[in-house]
This record gives sequence, structure tokens and C-alpha cells, in this order.
Amino acid sequence: MKKSTNRLLAVLLVMGAFQVGCGTGAGPQKRSSDESIQIAVIPKGTTHEFWKAIHAGAVKAAGEMGVEIIWKGPQKEDDRSQQITVVEDFVSRGVDGIVLAPLDDRALMVPVRDATREGIPVVIIDSDLQGKGYISFVATDNYMGGVMAARAMAVELPDGGRIFLVRYQEGSASTTKREAGFLDTITAEFPKISLIVQDLFAGATTETAFQLGENLLNRFPDVEGIFCPNESTTFGMLRALQEAGRAGQVAFIGFDSSPKLVAGLSNGEIHGLVLQNPVKIGYLGVKQMVLHLRGQPVESRVDTGVYLATPENMNEPLIQSLLSPELADILDK
Amino acid sequence: MNNTFKTNRFAMVLKWLGPFIGLILVVAIFSLMPEVQDRFLRIYNLKSVATQSVIVALGALGMTLIIISGGIDLSAASNIALSSVIVAFAINAGIHPLAAVLLGIMAGGLVGLINGALITSLRLVPFIVTLGMLGIARGVAKWMAGNQKIDTPLTWVNELMAKSPQGLLLAPGVWLMIGLAFLMAALLRYTVFGKHIFAIGSNEATARLCGIRIGRTKLLIYTIGGLFCGLSGVMQFSRLTVGDPTVAVGLELDIIAAVVIGGGSLSGGMGSILGSMIGVFIMAFLRNGSTMMGWPNYIQEIIIGAIIVFAVALDRIRHK
Repeated sequence: MKKSTNRLLAVLLVMGAFQVGCGTGAGPQKRSSDESIQIAVIPKGTTHEFWKAIHAGAVKAAGEMGVEIIWKGPQKEDDRSQQITVVEDFVSRGVDGIVLAPLDDRALMVPVRDATREGIPVVIIDSDLQGKGYISFVATDNYMGGVMAARAMAVELPDGGRIFLVRYQEGSASTTKREAGFLDTITAEFPKISLIVQDLFAGATTETAFQLGENLLNRFPDVEGIFCPNESTTFGMLRALQEAGRAGQVAFIGFDSSPKLVAGLSNGEIHGLVLQNPVKIGYLGVKQMVLHLRGQPVESRVDTGVYLATPENMNEPLIQSLLSPELADILDK
Repeated sequence: MNNTFKTNRFAMVLKWLGPFIGLILVVAIFSLMPEVQDRFLRIYNLKSVATQSVIVALGALGMTLIIISGGIDLSAASNIALSSVIVAFAINAGIHPLAAVLLGIMAGGLVGLINGALITSLRLVPFIVTLGMLGIARGVAKWMAGNQKIDTPLTWVNELMAKSPQGLLLAPGVWLMIGLAFLMAALLRYTVFGKHIFAIGSNEATARLCGIRIGRTKLLIYTIGGLFCGLSGVMQFSRLTVGDPTVAVGLELDIIAAVVIGGGSLSGGMGSILGSMIGVFIMAFLRNGSTMMGWPNYIQEIIIGAIIVFAVALDRIRHK
């Protein structure tokens, strides 16, 4: 008993000593040399392929610019509340900068404002944020991605047809813009294509998208084309098409890439994948931050480009590198 | 004689210190980590942790009562989501924010009341009733929100969880949490109602024979539990600034874990407000510290899981 009390006392004393020790030492002031610049990179989640690619890009930039990055997503994938907590904790830690892919264009506004107030600059990547509390926004032109998807759909269905637009999740700015780009282009340019489903949300996971896909295919067996605005919905819908024995028969345009989707593209089950350049998003996100920290001017909007991969062009070097980026090489370094 | 008196006092001290030791250990470990030691104990970070704890803590205040009475409330997190959506919905409907907040709390209380009524009138086990309510409340939340999040204009409600309010050291929500914790601790310790809760949890049959009106007491317990979830939902809304029906999925397990880490027994009759609050802060500091360290999420999950088992095992040994 006595021993444990003593030990407790010792711990308390040590704690006290440290507090006194740091009062004079490292304070909130910025570190001077670049080697010790720490940048927190906060994705929306950590399990999707897309975020692994962003991670790879961020690591690459950190290596080139000689800074340190800390990669940390919300504990539960797509949990707005927990992403707020992660941002707050990094503000507490006093990192030099935060690169954030906000899960919600509104809910992350207050923590970003708090970070800026504490003197920590924020670069937003991938999805936009309301308000102007950040220094730069690095992302795909998502609306353009939707437009490209609509045109690819029209190529597959030259005589028109009945199609689904499967939405991802309400409040996700990037996918909402893709859906808008797709919808606007179909209605404006291709009147022969009619949308039989356009207001259903697939939800955050492959499983929820899979279920929605199965139910939709049961309800509308005569569908001729489908567009999905991100990786998880595209893969979930691909699984539903495969289970229903309809894969390859329905004109299918997806968004983003993963090994399974590349396989679908090469065996003709997917007719087009709109690709972003996630490695570039991660890379430029960190780079903009470092440039800002070094006192150089940065652009407030950086477009990282969109590309269309089809079974025909998928072996071209540029498309190949976007479809299957060599993430392992970068992440292992 | 003197000796036994001494051991008894030691046992008492240890019983009180038990949960504290866990909390102090967690804080000490992160305070000693060279990467974050100069930051971890800063006031700013402590404020962050306090604010992050409010939602789980409010839920845990009600859950402590329920668990002491030998029950469980699996619908707590769904109830929080529902209340947060109702507040957002009401604000958008043009109701005064204060009325919207009260409506959110009342909605939580209503869910709790329904839980209690079903448990007592149908004589169903709380696990089943609240498992059903977990789905119902979540579903109603999504329905009310039209399967979306509800954007609302910023009002003073969003300042409840603001970290640096004018004139107050801590967010109003944190003060509320502290005040209510004292209130509930007093309620458990000094009121007849508090004694009844322990009696029901220790042995319901005996409590009945002693003339305690079990049904009425349980109804009150679950209603109070629901009211706390409602208040927690208000805080969740305040923090998110939007009403999100998918928020707090799985949070009921955090709330239950906090009570259990703090010495609550799932077989009833044991538990304390102080213990539960310490449980909340152990988990909050662990999350906060792990994030500041940049540890991957799976490490956090493994540590918290291990702590739950360890804390309960320690509790068993202490009570032998």
C-alpha cells in the first residue's frame, strides 16, 4: 500500500517538475529551422484508397521540402464530430500548420476559425469549406468531373436511355458538385437521356451503396446507364451489377479508382472512370502550406485536374499512373 | 483493533483513489512524452479536453443512475442524435432558440420516459427495450432531418460549446456539466430517491418488500437518463452547428464504458457520479493524447478496450 502511494507521489512530482521546466523552455513560439516544421494532415477517413493516395502525396511533399507530417483521420470514418476533435487536438499540440479535408462544409468552420485565431494556418484540400478562414483550397474541379462523366455517358448511350444518378452523401461538398455537374450537363446537352433515379443517397460505405444498388436494380431492371460520384458508391454499385448478372450490359460511369475498379474497367464492366489526381492533391496541399510558412505567397485556389479513363485509353502512361499510383513505394520510404 | 481500523481506512482511501490513479497515470504518461509534454498540460488543451468531454459526460450522468439501478440504456446515443436534430429543426422553424433547446431536452426526456414505461409495464429487460429504441430514435432522427444534415443560422446556442467565451474561463457547457455532476452526486447520496436507486439495483425483490415503488422509481430514472441525453444532444448540436442525424453512432458504448471504468457494476447496486466523470476524462485524455502524439486510431481503440477490462478486473479485486 505504502509503496503505491509513494509511487503516485513520485509521478506527481515528476509531472510538476516538467510543468515548471517547460514554462521557460519551448513555448508557443514558432520553431525556427525548417527541419522541425510539423504539419498535421487530416483526411476524412483513412481506409479508402483515395485517402491512401493523398497520404502518399503528402509524404512525398514532406520528403522533398524537408518537413514532418502527422497523418491522422477521425477515429470513425466520416464522423463529423470526431474530425472536429482531431483538429482541436492538433491546435492544442501547436503544430505549425494544418492541411484538412473537411467532412462537412459547415461543421468544420468553427474549429478552423479557432486554429487561425491560435496562429495556425489551415490549407483546405479535396472538399470546400464555408467561410474564408483558410489560406488556400487545393482540389479537383469537381463540377468539371461531373460534366465529363455526363459526356462519357452520352458516348455510351448515343440514342439516349434511362439512367440512375446515385448520390453519395448529403453535406459532402465535393460529391454534391460532381452530381450537379452531371445533372446539369445531362439535362442541358442530352435531352434523350432521362434520369429515373436522381435523389437517392448511397451513404458512406460500400455496403450501403451495394444494398441501394441491389434494391434499385430490382425496382428498375430496364436501366441502361448508371453514374456514381465516388469510389465507394462506384464499387458498391459494381458489386450489385455483378450479383444481378448485369455488369457490362449497363453503361456504367464511376468516379475515382481502386484495384477492383481498374479490374472492372479492363474487363468491360465499367465504361469510364473519372479520375482525380489525389497524389497531387496531397502533394500540393502540403507544399502550399510549407510555402506559406516560409513567407511566400500562395494561390487561394489550386486546381489539380480531372481525367477520364476508358477501356481504350487505360494503358496510356498518364492514365495508368492515375489509375494505379505506386503508393507503396512512396509510403514505405 | 487499531490495526483493522487502519486497513479499513486504507481500503476506503484506495476505493476513492482507484479511478483517480487511472486518470493520473494517463495524464502523467502523456505529460512525460517528449513530443507533447510542453503542450499537453497547457490550459488551452485542458479546455479542449473539457469541452470534448461534455457530450459523453452528460450522457454518463444519466447512465450512472440507470446502471446503478441494474438497468442499461443502449438508446442513449440515438437519443442524443434525435435531440440535436430536433433543436436544429425547431430553430429553422423559426422558434426562439431557447424554446428549441428546451424542446430538444424534453424530446430526450420523452424517449427516456417511453423506455421506462415499456420496461415497467411490459416487464421487458432494459437491454431489449433500449436496443429497440436505439433503432427507433435513430430512424426518427433521420426521418425528421429528411436523411440529411440540417443547416441552421448561427445563434447563441452554438456558443454553449465555444472554447473561449467572454468572461467565463470554460465553455458554458462545461460549467453546466460540472454543476449537474454535483447535483446528481448529491441526489444519489442524500435523497431518498438516491437510496431507492441503490436498493433496486442491489436486490429488486428486497426493495419491493421494503415498500419501494419500483415502477415509479424506474420511470423517473429512465426519464432523467433521457433528459440528460436530450441536453447532451443540445451540446452536440452546439458543437457541430448543424443537426446531423448520423452523429454519435456507437457513442452509447463510450458512455457505458465511462460508467464501468468509474466503478459502476452492470449487475447493479454500485457506481458513483465521481467515478463516471473520471471514466469520461480517462477516455477523453487518452483520445486527446493519442491524437496529439499522432498515433494511429487503432492504437487508441486497443488501449481503451484494454483499460475497460483492466478497470473492471481491478474493481472486482478491490471488492473481494
